[in-house]
Amino acid sequence: LADLLNLCTSQQLSFVRQYVDPLLKKDPFTSLPNEICLRILSCIDDPKVLARASQVSQRWRELLADDVTWMKLCAKHDYGRRMSEAQINAPPTSSLRPPPNPVQSVFEEPATQTFPGASMVASGSSRSFDSSMSTTALRRPKIRSYKSHFKQRYLVETAWKTGGRNIARHITQDQGVVTSLHLTPKYIVVALDNAKIHVFNTEGNQQKTLQGHVMGVWAMVPWDDVLVSGGCDRDVRVWNMATGDSIHTLRGHTSTVRCLKMSDSVTAISGSRDTTLRVWDINTGLCKNVLVGHQASVRCLEIKGDIVVSGSYDTTARVWSISEGRCLRTLSGHFSQIYAIAFDGTRIATGSLDTSVRIWDPTNGSCQAILQGHTSLVGQLQMRGNTLVTGGSDGSVRVWSLEKMAPIHRLAAHDNSVTSLQFDDTRVVSGGSDGRVKVWDLKTGQLVRELTAPADAVWRVAFEEEKCVVMASRSNRTIMEVWSFSPPEDVLY
Amino acid sequence: MSEGTVTKLTLVANDGQKMQVDRQVAEKSVLIKNMLDDLGDDAMLSAEIPIPNVNDTVLKKVIEWCEHHKADPAASNDDDSDSRKKTTDIDEWDQKFMQVDQEMLFEIILASNYLDIKPLLDVGCKTVANMIKGKSPEEIRKTFNITNDFTPEEEEQIRRENEWAEDR
Repeated sequence: LADLLNLCTSQQLSFVRQYVDPLLKKDPFTSLPNEICLRILSCIDDPKVLARASQVSQRWRELLADDVTWMKLCAKHDYGRRMSEAQINAPPTSSLRPPPNPVQSVFEEPATQTFPGASMVASGSSRSFDSSMSTTALRRPKIRSYKSHFKQRYLVETAWKTGGRNIARHITQDQGVVTSLHLTPKYIVVALDNAKIHVFNTEGNQQKTLQGHVMGVWAMVPWDDVLVSGGCDRDVRVWNMATGDSIHTLRGHTSTVRCLKMSDSVTAISGSRDTTLRVWDINTGLCKNVLVGHQASVRCLEIKGDIVVSGSYDTTARVWSISEGRCLRTLSGHFSQIYAIAFDGTRIATGSLDTSVRIWDPTNGSCQAILQGHTSLVGQLQMRGNTLVTGGSDGSVRVWSLEKMAPIHRLAAHDNSVTSLQFDDTRVVSGGSDGRVKVWDLKTGQLVRELTAPADAVWRVAFEEEKCVVMASRSNRTIMEVWSFSPPEDVLY
Repeated sequence: MSEGTVTKLTLVANDGQKMQVDRQVAEKSVLIKNMLDDLGDDAMLSAEIPIPNVNDTVLKKVIEWCEHHKADPAASNDDDSDSRKKTTDIDEWDQKFMQVDQEMLFEIILASNYLDIKPLLDVGCKTVANMIKGKSPEEIRKTFNITNDFTPEEEEQIRRENEWAEDR
């Protein structure tokens, strides 16, 4: 054969090649058993490649329909199944409360270091709703296959990176400063320093304006249809957001209410410049306890189970038992006012004007770590598992590992202070007084995009899986932008 | 287990060809390694080991790979999640090694699957995956000489179904 080919002209050889080439080619997916075909497909992590492959032939299409490939792809892209299964198992208003007896809880969980009373079992962080939970996802029917799950998540992620639709609205005639913003499965709630609270539906359409406070509203917390708010007029008010009715006015504080959280559907805890915290029964409208001990304004608080932790301008944080109404521990160490606090039942993180972040053990009050790096006030702080993200008046956002007690990323986020900060498993969204909203990749620390055109200032930003709400000032007016990253329904099914 | 002395095994391909192979090299195959463990050294070292599913050419090629990789650390048990999860990166020597015609490539994959040589199976699968990547459906058909057996209507429908993954 070699001799024969040697006799050929190049034209003839080229003919031979054209003839032979296809004969040397073989369809791998008909030559190999399914198990190996799927193994080949599992080497591919770009959905575009898979989508194109499924258009090759009937055989390829059939193979690409196998959900195992998409399940693996979900795993590679860290697309957990929380949108479908997780949420059904954990309804937002879960009534799971920690056991009443702290000793019992220690007994049941000897392995974990959970602070007595602040049982990890309880799904109730002191935010009334887990903001990572998407209303859109709830509305959708349970997602059937990994393929459609992947598709849905992929489209959402792509929209976060490059797309998304947004609706912008002026929400007030004057230049109200937005002091607080909450997203819940039903509402977007905005509090302003002009004493008004605006309630929108999740699309951003105005529903109710809650009027009653006579001075700026500085803190609020939603729980289902109930909203509890407080501010400069010293009153804590309980509202029904569905009807717009004012249900109770809770009186007792003698100075501005600065922070508010709820521990369950009837218990609200407020912290005030009058140095106290008050525990309220919002059904009866009665004050159940006054937590006295701080020497200066109570600036921030966080609740887990029966434990409330508070951060104060007196430079200390305190750990309180809600049911007993007493201070269990005082956390001393900061050299200046505490502005932000986070507590997950196991660890307490505090951010201070002394530019440091401290991590505390709630069981013995010891300081486990001092995280340094910010050069100014640390006013924003969120903790999730072993990750802590902080934002400061120095404009930087820092991602920390609480396993190593060390920085993972230092993001030069904003020219001025970081006014708002939130993160989930995938991303960090920060807003700054420089008027910018930035989306960061939590793992790589890379800037994903700048959301929206630069404004004069960004007051608040909050997001959930498929939505982001930005409260900003543009041309001296307060504007609300509701960003949606949901793929259109017809694309999904 | 395997001491300083190099012991040889005799493998017999399905076409009767015999091959002398270092034990350490042959043990890259979990199938052969398990046989050695089960039957005991004495029985195996004297006997010929038939490899009924693999022909001489392919077996030689597979042994060549094992020879080159004999010093590699043993793959971890949870290879399913790990080794393939990362990328389709293939080291340079393996890339050259896999520059064979498709028939041979698929034979190597089948042989490594039969002989249970996971790292080689992975290299094979990754090689095929790389041939699929970055191509349009038509280019994939050309690469593997596949006939398009969709009707134009089907093709259009499938194209629309898969549009979501394209960059927009």
